[in-house]
Amino acid sequence: MSRRPPQRKELRAKFAELAETGDPALRDELVEAHLGLARYLARRFANRGEPLDDLVQVASVGLVRAIDRFDPSRDVEFSTYATHTIVGELKRHFRDRGWAIRAPRRMQELYLRLGTVVATLGGQLGRSPAIAELAAEVGVSEEEVLEALEAGQAYRFASLDAPVSAPAAGDGDRDGDTLGARLGAEDPEIEAAEQRAMLSPLLRRLPERERLIVQLRFFDGLTQSEIAARLGISQMHVSRLLARSVARLRSSAGAG
Amino acid sequence: MATSDDEVHLVVPAMPEYLRLARVTAAGLASRLGFSFDEVEDLRLAIDEMCFGLTGNSGRDGTVAIRYVLGDGSLVVEGEGRFRTDGEVALSELSEVILAALVDEHDLHDGEGGPRFRLVKRRHDASPR
Repeated sequence: MSRRPPQRKELRAKFAELAETGDPALRDELVEAHLGLARYLARRFANRGEPLDDLVQVASVGLVRAIDRFDPSRDVEFSTYATHTIVGELKRHFRDRGWAIRAPRRMQELYLRLGTVVATLGGQLGRSPAIAELAAEVGVSEEEVLEALEAGQAYRFASLDAPVSAPAAGDGDRDGDTLGARLGAEDPEIEAAEQRAMLSPLLRRLPERERLIVQLRFFDGLTQSEIAARLGISQMHVSRLLARSVARLRSSAGAG
Repeated sequence: MATSDDEVHLVVPAMPEYLRLARVTAAGLASRLGFSFDEVEDLRLAIDEMCFGLTGNSGRDGTVAIRYVLGDGSLVVEGEGRFRTDGEVALSELSEVILAALVDEHDLHDGEGGPRFRLVKRRHDASPR
């Protein structure tokens, strides 16, 4: 107990020094010393549908922000100030996600419908349809098509592991299947692609099916519709998996 | 119908929730230019990747100014980070591979006033426009 006041004094001195010198080593030291606080606060927001690792990252960003903005000459403890900043950052994270998740139902439905139309119209045209063509086919405006794509994106980030879309009724599109189930058969080309993907340790962190799609799109240069045709899934599914994979790769790159 | 060399400018806070607007705008303009669904999807991913290269996952303190130039069957997107704190920008090897597959040209580098990026997407799929 008697040690706390001197520690606070010492801390204040360090902040004063940082404000004066901007010494990055000192900044790192202060971040390091308070990571426990960031982790503690992140855990308080766990079990709300976001991975703890992500929350810790968000909280750490808040911590760094607090350290950069803290004014030691003001009569407030750093821990109080930092808690406020970190909680603010975490709340904002949830608010942003919430905003993304609350895509209007109509847009989600349009998104799912577009998934089918992209495939059928693409088949008829022998190429990837233009947005205007999709809009005309479905009977909505181009803006609505684009809005639905955005909604679909929000939707896919919100529920990474949920079934990705409703099975299209009546036609051959078996989007409701899991991709993994459809990739059971061995294919030498797929194997080769996988081996090349093994070159990158980052890619290895992806689930198998996502790694394959990333490989086909980014390394082998297939278009989304070609991948969809090859794997027998809808293009919307490919699109979702690609966006999800890239997001995963970013966060693991950021953590590494 | 968009005419050649029309420009659209967008300045947003350098946070992911606003950079989403960069993606929406790009998709809207590409659609105007008659880009295919495949191409619009590529562009959306590419913009995300570039913005990630510029600001990281959690954003930066400052703004990003984006300029879209509508050409004849091409869209040029140029971005400039105006950040209040220093920090170098660079594309990871993986980002390079991703962007090379998605767009025709891409570049991200530190400039005098701040980091800048540029990407070019051309319309390849034949579609009536």
